[in-house]
Amino acid sequence: MKVSVNWIREINKKYQCSADPMPKGIDALVEKIGSQLGAVEEVVDVGKKYRGVVVAKVVSCEKHPNADKLSVCMIDDGGVVKKVRHDSKGLVQVVCGAPNVKAGQMVAWIPPGQTVPVTIDKDPMVLEAREIRGKVSNGMIASLKELSLGDDHTGILVIDQPAKPGQPFAEVYGLDDYIIDIENKMFTHRPDCFGMLGIARELAGIQGMVFRSPNWYLGDKTISTHKTDNQLLSVKNQVPMLVPRFMMQIVKNVKVGPSSLGIQAALARVAVRPINNIVDITNYLMLETAQPLHAYDYDKVKALSATSKAQITVRMARRGEKLKILGGKEVTLGGQEVVIATDRLVLGLGGVMGGADTEVDENTKNIILEVGNFDMNATRKTAMTHGLFTDAATRFTKNQSPWQNDRVLARAIDFVIHESGGLPARSVYDLKSKLAPPSQVKTKLGFINDRLGLNLSATQTKQLLENVEFKVEIGSDDSLRIIAPFWRTDIVIPEDIVEEIGRLYGYDHLPLKLPTRDHSPAKLNQSLVFKNKIRQILSSAGANEVLTYSFVDSSLIQKAGQNTKDAYHIRNALSPDLQYYRLSLAPSLLEKIHTNVKEGFDKFVLFELGRTHIKGVLDEEKLPKELDRLALVATKNYSNQEEGAPYFAAKKQLENLLHGIGIYKIRYEPIDSKLDKQWKVTAQAYEPKRSAIIYHKDEVIGLVGEPTQVLKQILKLPSFTAQAEIDINALLMQTQPPTYYSLNRFPSVEQDLCLRTSINLGYSQLTDFILKSLGDLSKGHGYTHWLRTLDIYQKPGDKKLKQTTWHVVIAHPDRTLTTAEVNTLLDKVAAAAKVKFKAERV
Amino acid sequence: MAYVDKEVQAAAKVLSEKLKKLEDKRAILRAPELVALYDRIKTLPAGERAAFGKEVNQLKSKLEQLVRQAQSFKPKALSSIDITAPFDINVPPEQKPKLLTADMGSQHPLMSELATVLDIFYRMGFTAVESRELDDDWHMFTSLNFPKDHPARDDYDTFVTDEDLVAPAHTSTMQNRVLKEFKINLENGKPIAILLPGRVFRNEDLDARHEHTFHQFEGVYVDKDIHVGNLLATFKTFLQEYYQQDLEIKTQPFYFPFTEPSFELALSCPFCQKKGCHVCGYTGWIELLGMGMIHPNVLKLAGIDPIVYTGFAWGCGLERLVMMKYGIEDIRHFHSGNLKFLRQFSLEGIWYDV
Repeated sequence: MKVSVNWIREINKKYQCSADPMPKGIDALVEKIGSQLGAVEEVVDVGKKYRGVVVAKVVSCEKHPNADKLSVCMIDDGGVVKKVRHDSKGLVQVVCGAPNVKAGQMVAWIPPGQTVPVTIDKDPMVLEAREIRGKVSNGMIASLKELSLGDDHTGILVIDQPAKPGQPFAEVYGLDDYIIDIENKMFTHRPDCFGMLGIARELAGIQGMVFRSPNWYLGDKTISTHKTDNQLLSVKNQVPMLVPRFMMQIVKNVKVGPSSLGIQAALARVAVRPINNIVDITNYLMLETAQPLHAYDYDKVKALSATSKAQITVRMARRGEKLKILGGKEVTLGGQEVVIATDRLVLGLGGVMGGADTEVDENTKNIILEVGNFDMNATRKTAMTHGLFTDAATRFTKNQSPWQNDRVLARAIDFVIHESGGLPARSVYDLKSKLAPPSQVKTKLGFINDRLGLNLSATQTKQLLENVEFKVEIGSDDSLRIIAPFWRTDIVIPEDIVEEIGRLYGYDHLPLKLPTRDHSPAKLNQSLVFKNKIRQILSSAGANEVLTYSFVDSSLIQKAGQNTKDAYHIRNALSPDLQYYRLSLAPSLLEKIHTNVKEGFDKFVLFELGRTHIKGVLDEEKLPKELDRLALVATKNYSNQEEGAPYFAAKKQLENLLHGIGIYKIRYEPIDSKLDKQWKVTAQAYEPKRSAIIYHKDEVIGLVGEPTQVLKQILKLPSFTAQAEIDINALLMQTQPPTYYSLNRFPSVEQDLCLRTSINLGYSQLTDFILKSLGDLSKGHGYTHWLRTLDIYQKPGDKKLKQTTWHVVIAHPDRTLTTAEVNTLLDKVAAAAKVKFKAERV
Repeated sequence: MAYVDKEVQAAAKVLSEKLKKLEDKRAILRAPELVALYDRIKTLPAGERAAFGKEVNQLKSKLEQLVRQAQSFKPKALSSIDITAPFDINVPPEQKPKLLTADMGSQHPLMSELATVLDIFYRMGFTAVESRELDDDWHMFTSLNFPKDHPARDDYDTFVTDEDLVAPAHTSTMQNRVLKEFKINLENGKPIAILLPGRVFRNEDLDARHEHTFHQFEGVYVDKDIHVGNLLATFKTFLQEYYQQDLEIKTQPFYFPFTEPSFELALSCPFCQKKGCHVCGYTGWIELLGMGMIHPNVLKLAGIDPIVYTGFAWGCGLERLVMMKYGIEDIRHFHSGNLKFLRQFSLEGIWYDV
C-alpha cells in the first residue's frame, strides 16, 4: 500500500480529523510505522524531483520572430532564482513551443541548471540557458509530462490553484510529499488500511493521537434513496449472499475530460495513471476510502440491453460466456464468477474488473456509478482463476464493510458534479441484504493485560481504542464492552482487541520475562539423537553428508528401475525437475557422483539422512508413511585391484556405522522376492547378483550392493560404485551395548583352521556351522571361543574350490587348556564339516 | 538423409559430429548452426523459402529423433559384471576396502547448525519433534485457522499432489499434532514446550536467495498465563545464547491467520553490533522470523481451552542463520551435493587453498 503523507495531512486538516501525522520528521514516522503498523518496503521522497522547479507568471508572450510555432515569453519568478539573467523589470526570458501559452498564466518553470523531473530516474536531462533560433531561452516552461504528472505534453501545465510567483511548484500540488510503501501482507485482515483514510487513522492511533473520521464517511450526509426510476435503468441482484450490497446511480450530461490538476497530481504521486475525470474520481476515492468504485457509460449499457432502458443484473457467470475486459483482453468465464451483466451481455467481473464494452471515454455523456460490496472469497476465486490481481480485487479480498457504500457513492456524486458537471438522477439503487451490525466484543481488562504481560488501566485501554474510533464501555470489575467501528470487519474475538491494544501501545514496550518452569528435564527425542550419532560416525569415517531434494523428476525414477505409479505426483510444480516424491534416497545420491568426479574428486562416500514416501505405505493417520532412511554411496574413479568388489566398500562403511551405533547381529541374504513393498521398490536400483538384503534378527533393515548396470551407465558412474540404504527407525529400537566376557584367568589357545570347500558354499553358511559346532562341543567342556576370519582364497584359474581360514581362540574359565585338547576339538569340527559340506581340512 | 541444399547438407554434417561429443544431447537443438539455418529462411526470396524451410525442418526433426534416442534409458551394450571371485555377500569386508580418512568427512552445515539450535532449546526445556514432509491440507491450513478459499492461503505457494496432499510450506503443519499429543502436560501442570525442526517447501523459482526446499524450526509453547513478553524473552534468550552476546530485539506487526497478535522479529546485528555491515545491509538490524500468540481457534481445534491456556509459536528459517554465519552467498549450494562446498565443513577445511 503506497501511502502519501501529504494526502493524509490534507485529510486531517480539511476535515479536522487529527493533528499532523509527521510531527517528528519522516524517519521517526517510518520507524513508528515499522514497529506499530507494518513493514515499510520503501520510502520515496517525491519532492526531490521538484526541488528547484518554481511557480512563475507569464507576463508577456510574443511570437518568436524566427519561428512560427514558438513564443518568446517574459516570466516573473518573484526574483527567487539567482543565477539567471533578469531584465530591468526583473523578468526572465523563456522560449516556449506550447500552443496554449498565454500572458497572465501561472506556470511551472524549470530554470537552467535544473533536471527535468521526468528524466530524473534514468538519463537525467539538465537544462541550460541556450539560444533557440536566435533568442535565449532560460530553462523551460513545463508540461504535465515533463513534470512526471501524466502523459500529456501537447501543452504546458497551467496552474489552476492559488499560487504566487517564486513559490516552490511542489507546494501547490502537494508534491513535496513522501510516499511510504507499506507491505500489503501486513494488511491481509485490514480492509481499512487499503485507503488513505484508514492509514491516517492508524498513524494517529500509534502516535497516541485522537482521530475522528470526516462526517461524510461516518454517515451524516448519506444520500436518500428513491425506489426506482423505471424509465432509465433497472437493477437486479440475484446473488445477495455474494454481493451483500450493490449501489448504482446515474449522472447525466457529464463532460469527460482531464481531471483537475489536484486530482491528477494526487494519483501520480502514488503511481496511478490519470485517465479522465470520471475514471480518476473512482480511483481517487478508492485510494482514499479503500472502497472500489466503477463507472459505466450509460448509453453503451443501454445499447447492450434488450429493452429501451439499461438493464443491469448481478449474477453468476454462465460457463463459456465471454467478456472483453478493460484493456481489450477477452476472458472466457467458468461459471464461478460474479458478473455484472445486461440481459444480453456480461459487462464486467464483479469486484475485480470492468469490461471494455461499457468503458467511459471522451464521448461519454451519461454515466452509471457503481459502488458494490463483493464477498472476499468469491472475489479471490475470480481473481485467481483469471490472474487478475487488480486494485479492486486486492481491496475486496480484505472484506470491505458494506456500511460505507452509500457514503462513498454520495462523495463520488459530489466529485463528479464538481469535476465534470452533470446532473445526478434522482434514483439511487441500493440493493442490500440486512447488513450485519458492527462487531461487539465483550472482554475483561485482565484478559488483555494477561496476554500482553501489561498492567494497563481500563481508562488507558479505552483511550488507546477510542483514538481509533472504537467505542468502549467500562463495566464493573473492569469488564469491557467494545464496539468496533463499521470499517473494522476484522474485529471478532477478544484476542483481536489484544492485538489492537498491543500494537497501539507498542510491542517493543512490553516487559520481557521468560516463562517459569520446574526442573524436570525436557523429554529427549531419541530419534534425533540417534541421527546425530549416525552423522558423527559416518563423517568420522570420511563420508560427506549431503542434502538432496525430496522431489525428483520422472526420469530418475525410471532410471532407477522404479515405477512412477508408486510415487506421489506433484501436480503444480513450477520446475519440471520436481515432479515426484522420491521412492528411495540412493538414486539422488548416485546422481551427485558424476559432477563431483568431473570436479576431480576420485574417491568419496556421500550419505544422506532423509525421507521417502511410497504410495500404499501409510501410517496410523492414513497419511503417507514417512520412511526415515539413511543412504550412502561409495565410489572410486580409479582402478585398484586390492580393494576387491565395490560391494565391500559400501558394506565396510555400513558395518563400521552399525557397530558404532550398537547393532551387531547382522546377516546378509541374496535379494529375493520376499521383500515388502517399500524394500521391493528400493531394490529396483540394485544389481541383484551384486547386492544383498541386510537382516537384523529376522527383520529387513536395508539393502547394500551395487547399482544396476543401467544406472551406472546412464548416470555415468565409475565402475567402482556401491550404495546402501537402511531404515533408521528399525535400527533405533535395536541398539544394544557390546557383550562383555570376563577376562580370563587362564591362558587361551589360539589356532588357525582352514577348510577347502566348493565356491558355491556361502561364507556365512560355513562360518555359522563352525560356530555352532564349537558351541555344541563346548557344552561338554565349558570353554568359550572366538572366531575371526583371516582369509578367503581361490587359486588363480580354479573355478570350483576356495579355501577359508579362521583364527580360532579357545579358553576355559577354570583351567589351562592343552594344545592336544584343542586339536581334538578342531578335528571334530573339521570332521563334521566334511560330513556336512564335503569340506577338506587344509 | 541426403539434403538437396548445400547449406543444409554442410550443417547436417557439422551437427551430427557435434552431437556425438555433446554431453547434454538436447543442446544440439540450440546449436548456432541450426539457429543460423532458421535465420537464413527469412533472408531468402519468397520462392525459395518453402523448399529450404522444409529441409531445415527435416533436419531438425531428425536431430530431435536422435536426441530422443540418446535420452531413452535402454543402454545399448551392457558391460558384463566384473566378478572378482569369490563374490560372497556375507564375506566380512576385512581390512580392505578401507574407510576414508576422518579429515575428509563432513556433516552438512545445515544439519550441524540445527543440532546447535536444538541443543540450546533442549536446555531451555523444549522437546524436539520432527516435522512432516508430506501432509494433508487440514493440518497445513485448516487446523491453523485458514478457512477454505481464504486469501491468506495465497501467501503460501504450496506444492500439491494428485491426491491433494501438500508439501508443507511451514513447520506449523505440525502444531495441531503436537498440541494434541502433549496436551497431557497441561493436565499435569507442566507446559507444552516443543521445537519442530523440518524441511519445508515453496513452489518458487530458484535463484541465489530463493529455494523451493528449505528448513525451519518452529517453537510451540503453551501454559497458563503465557503472554507476549514471554515469547519475546524466550526468543531473545535463544538468540543471545546462539550468538553468545547481548542483543536487542524489535518487532514489527504482521498478519498470520494462526497467531493473534502476530509480528516479525528483528535482532540487532550480531556481526557488527549495530554499527552497520554487509550482513545487515548497513541498517544494524536483521529481520529474522515471524511469530505470535497462538490463535484461540488453533488451540480449540487441538482440544485446549483458550480461556485457561495461552501460548506462543514462531517459525524461523535455518538457512538464513547458516548463510549469515559463514557468509554463504548462494542458497542453492546447500542442496547441490557439491563436495567443494561440503568439504569446507570437514576437518580438512578448505583443502584446495593449500
